[in-house]
Amino acid sequence: MTRRTWNWSIERKLPLLVSVLLVAVVLVMLGAAYQQVRTAALSFAAERVTRSTKEWVNVSVRSGAQQRTQLATLVADPGVRDFVASGGKRGRDWALAAMRRIAPDNTPNIAMELWDESGHRLLLRGDSAFASDPAPLPASDSGVVSPYRVRRDTLILSDMQAVVRRGPEGPVIGRVVVVRRLNVSALARQMLTGISGGDMSLLIGNADGDPWTDLEKIMPAPPTEARAQHDSIIAAAYVRGDAKIGAAARIPGTPIMFISELSRRQVLAPSRGYLRRMAAIAALIVLVGTLGAWWVSRSITDPLRHLTIAAASIASGDLAQRVDVPGNDELGRLGNSFNTMAGEVQRARTDLETQVVERTRALSETNAELEAFSYSVSHDLRAPLRAIHGFARILLEDHGAGMDGEAKRVLGVIDENTRRMGQLIDDLLSFSRLGRKELETARVDMAELVRGVVEEVRRHAGDRPLEITVGSLPPARGDRNMLRQAVMNLLDNAAKFTRKRAPGRIEVGHQDNGAEAVYYVKDNGAGFDPRYASKLFGVFQRLHRAEEFEGTGVGLAIVQRVVSRHGGRVWAEGKLDAGATFYFTLPGA
Amino acid sequence: MPQPHEVEILLVEDNPSDAELTLRALKQRNLANQVFVCHDGAEALEFFFGDGSHALREIGVVPKVILLDLKLPKVDGLEVLRRLKEEARTKSIPVVVLTSSREEPDIARAYRLGANSYIVKPVDFEAFARAVSDVGLYWLLLNHPPR
Repeated sequence: MTRRTWNWSIERKLPLLVSVLLVAVVLVMLGAAYQQVRTAALSFAAERVTRSTKEWVNVSVRSGAQQRTQLATLVADPGVRDFVASGGKRGRDWALAAMRRIAPDNTPNIAMELWDESGHRLLLRGDSAFASDPAPLPASDSGVVSPYRVRRDTLILSDMQAVVRRGPEGPVIGRVVVVRRLNVSALARQMLTGISGGDMSLLIGNADGDPWTDLEKIMPAPPTEARAQHDSIIAAAYVRGDAKIGAAARIPGTPIMFISELSRRQVLAPSRGYLRRMAAIAALIVLVGTLGAWWVSRSITDPLRHLTIAAASIASGDLAQRVDVPGNDELGRLGNSFNTMAGEVQRARTDLETQVVERTRALSETNAELEAFSYSVSHDLRAPLRAIHGFARILLEDHGAGMDGEAKRVLGVIDENTRRMGQLIDDLLSFSRLGRKELETARVDMAELVRGVVEEVRRHAGDRPLEITVGSLPPARGDRNMLRQAVMNLLDNAAKFTRKRAPGRIEVGHQDNGAEAVYYVKDNGAGFDPRYASKLFGVFQRLHRAEEFEGTGVGLAIVQRVVSRHGGRVWAEGKLDAGATFYFTLPGA
Repeated sequence: MPQPHEVEILLVEDNPSDAELTLRALKQRNLANQVFVCHDGAEALEFFFGDGSHALREIGVVPKVILLDLKLPKVDGLEVLRRLKEEARTKSIPVVVLTSSREEPDIARAYRLGANSYIVKPVDFEAFARAVSDVGLYWLLLNHPPR
């Protein structure tokens, strides 16, 4: 089968296969049966014609022998001898009587003649139409039958001669000629063929050629294949008008041949009818078989289809689907297994969901605890810090006059550190909150957001010369507050690290690298050592000393957390003392 | 400490250091004379609604502004706020929530309960002092209280 038919449904393939198989089998069997039937019919026909010819030959032989005997008696009759010897002058009545004894008066198909050797007819008894004319040629021997000849278009004559001798051993003085007419008529034919069986044709004629007759009319000689002779009578196939089967035999000792003939078509007609009937039955068998196969394949593919649909609906979420496949066969078992599996899947899903709910609950609890923790931290850590800072101040303000430079310096250190700690607490808290807070995603106009931050940064910077340029910025998708904080941190950093430059130059823009929009903040500030670039975004990691640039080292960690929570990346390029550029990607709006 | 009827600023603060720093800041702006301090929420409620030495009922004079810390022992700051804003007598006294907490829920709740202002106490003393004195100045001198 071609590739394509192999991809047909089982529902089609099975009946197709079965019907092809059935057709093949049926054709083979029909063919064989038909061949058998034909062969049988033909061989039976051959047998029939052979038998028929044999019988007719026997009959002819007997009647011929009988006639010869009679003729022998006749020619041995002294009276007849005398008649012939006298040239027909004496013993006429005697001769007639003798003839009459052989052939009674009411035999219409016979004429008997007496001829002398000089070609004179001495006596004729019978129909003169049969009389030999001219004188018959002397036959080679007594009792020899002549070939048929046609007289006046309609008479078929053949004769037998017997020699008349002067005495038992004397010279030939004359001959007797018995002319027989072959009775050819519809009635004759009917009578004869009725005996053989109405479908058989009987043909008689000269073995060597015309004339021939089918007992009803005169006809041309059958083809030579028909007249082929064998030692024993054998049926032959030949064409005489249409295909025939015929058995031919010469009547021994005569030039006459006899053929029993059957029309091949007629012989095979019943088998053709048989073939037609069988073909009809075969077609019915194929049809029934195909229908049966189709029904069986349906009984397989229907449950399979149900299973497929059920599987698909389970796959798309409806876990309660089950199939109903009755029966204990393979399909029934498949259906049961399927149902069991579906039940398992459903249970597993329910279990999983329960687990998820559990875990989520546990997680929420942890989150809530963390929230509480942050709350405590922000409150309870700040209060003492405030006290330390405040009272250190009070010390300085109220008692500074009595302190030396060193004491004041020490107080300054206390002051500075408490301030830092406060900043650290704030930074840590916002960093931690960032991780827990839910993203409120919306379309964010980055250009406008950056502009707002830039204004604030400029305000903070005061009179310091600061050039900030903002290029076109495509909108992004994300949590506006978080993004604002990240941008703020980056710009704050840029501003901080360009403090020693005049002017400090900050550039905010974006690049398109094909797949994503990349935002960047570039400055001409202190830069950083690219060898430590990997530490840039770590919490509390700083690449500069606190004396140079203040900061807790959380700003960039916050930026990274914000960006990665949005599914983006952040990285930086820079060189010591030659500025830095910070890149980050965000999902597009 | 002034008499109850002389109180212009009521400070409800449990942390003595914070209280001291606050007073100091107010003093620097000459606002410290009329500051009364309650050390927890119960005292604050006593001051307004209770009997005894703090009874205000007879006097009918209320402070010009209340500086309220949220984290208070005995009665929580938000509870005090709620009570204050429920009572007709005290409803219209401006309450400034002054607290370390920058947590969103606290801020939202405070405003919902009727706080007039919410200020986060910075660690930095200077900033703290400035915030406190600014607040004091505003509510005492600039703002016109309802009468």
